[in-house]
Amino acid sequence: MTASTTTADLTVVVAARRMLTADVCEFELRRRDGGLLEPAEPGAHITVHTPSGEARSYSLTSDVSDLGRYVIAVRRDEGGRGGSRSMIDEVNEGDSLTISSPRNAFELMDAPAYLLVAAGIGITPIRAMLLELRRRGAADVQLVYLSRSRAETPYLDELVEMTLNRPITLHHRSLHGALDWWPLLESPGERHLYVCGPESLQNELRALTMHWRPSRVHMEDFAGISAFGGISLPFVLEWQPSGVSIAVSETQTMLGALERAGIDADSSCGSGTCGTCRLRLIDGEADHRDVVLSESERRDFVMPCVSRALNKGLVVAPL
Amino acid sequence: MHGSIHSLYRYPVKGLTPEPLDRVALEAGRAFPFDRLFALAKPQGAYNADTFVPVSKREYYVLLNTDRLAGLAVGFDPETGLIRVTVQGHPVLEADLSTEAGRAEFVELYARVADLPDGERPVLAEQPGYNFTDQANNGSRMMNTISLINRASIREFEARIGRELDPLRFRANVYIEGLEPWVERDWIGRELQLGGSGGVTVRVVEETERCAATEVDPSTARRDVPVVRLLHENYGHEIMGVFAEVLSVGTLAPGDSVAVPDAATAA
Repeated sequence: MTASTTTADLTVVVAARRMLTADVCEFELRRRDGGLLEPAEPGAHITVHTPSGEARSYSLTSDVSDLGRYVIAVRRDEGGRGGSRSMIDEVNEGDSLTISSPRNAFELMDAPAYLLVAAGIGITPIRAMLLELRRRGAADVQLVYLSRSRAETPYLDELVEMTLNRPITLHHRSLHGALDWWPLLESPGERHLYVCGPESLQNELRALTMHWRPSRVHMEDFAGISAFGGISLPFVLEWQPSGVSIAVSETQTMLGALERAGIDADSSCGSGTCGTCRLRLIDGEADHRDVVLSESERRDFVMPCVSRALNKGLVVAPL
Repeated sequence: MHGSIHSLYRYPVKGLTPEPLDRVALEAGRAFPFDRLFALAKPQGAYNADTFVPVSKREYYVLLNTDRLAGLAVGFDPETGLIRVTVQGHPVLEADLSTEAGRAEFVELYARVADLPDGERPVLAEQPGYNFTDQANNGSRMMNTISLINRASIREFEARIGRELDPLRFRANVYIEGLEPWVERDWIGRELQLGGSGGVTVRVVEETERCAATEVDPSTARRDVPVVRLLHENYGHEIMGVFAEVLSVGTLAPGDSVAVPDAATAA
């Protein structure tokens, strides 16, 4: 869920910075007037305008219940375009930074049990989740933390202390080689899995959790990038005959959401080419992604198998 | 013109993964044995085992609506009724579909995969004498066809779109190699000899219009390439492959020859 729909920029001051490892620097950001920051959820990130001119998104890693500060940790990326490098080399205590409101694409759900997986700098949102789960008193939390070596493991000592009495699996690739994931993933039970790490790790764990409920596997990944290249955002669909409102998530099609809501719309190709599922467009601006409707038809009709809302929502009806 | 059989597949459960075959014995007027023998129907949907009539593929869990189905590999042994499901080679289920308990375990697994609400499970659909191919909705003659793909047509399509496409996106029974691209578009109404003298004669009856099931990569289970859209944009049609009816009795194996009508003799 989005913590805030506004993306208003805010100027903050760097209250402190410290190197966590040779490559990773933590920054504590506060309002210059000492006031409270916008509330954020664990898993949320902010966008920082770095001195290089590049905007970079960083997960909040601090306790989100502390509205006095946002804490982020930045890994120096020698191969990147200089955003993270400029943060570490040029941003000092007392400097000002412009940041966005926090946004969350990695929501922490209430669950009976958790398996949290972090790789390297991917620990940042996972740490915020661990702090939140500790406050909630969640009993069944397992952390798997992968890094190249002990020296390259941000927050290691603190996490070991924090997860005392709870299973923590530290895996240093330089020492241990590849991790055998299957014993951790074979029996999903009631657990929710959270993964923050490189795309290769996300792909590997996604493939190994095909027998899990997809709603219990959470990655800050590529959801919302459709096969058609456009970005898909959630929106609300109103079915005019009954007036019922149906939420269409970023991973669902309008047609899929209608079917889930028990509304039978005839369809065939599912790819915007055959024209079978055509609906009347009563209200709202549609993002037409089909190849069957003419420009003039697009004012009054929409193909729910591929098309979406441009803004907040659409009102549709059968032919 | 001659080509050869590259590979043979059946899909014991509609929408789930293919099984490669070393050989297949075909009969006149019959589909591939044990192809789409089962389907996973939506609960409270239009599928009704007792008053069965063919229903839309949307009434089943298939790749069109559930891309993750591609991420669990299924093997079915018709002799024993055992179905084995693996994830990246790791077993997650072995169930005997000839028993009530085995069927319950199987649909329980797919209730998770399809993320159904607590207590809801797919219905394991099976009807005597019926298979759950999409073609089954068009009468028993079409239900009993086999599906053929010319791999060269996929390659030509790949070259046009600049993307690699696993041929298994198209979920055919017979994959043919060694032909020119798109020659199959001239085959409607004509006969082919599959598998030499021990093989079968088939008559091609219809082209295969593709749906969004082909958008799912069979190895990553991600909906990643808009195949139907790209067919439409590149060729003005959404066709890949043909259906054919088997006219004789025989056996096919990968490597067997395929004799196709000569384009020069086309009417």
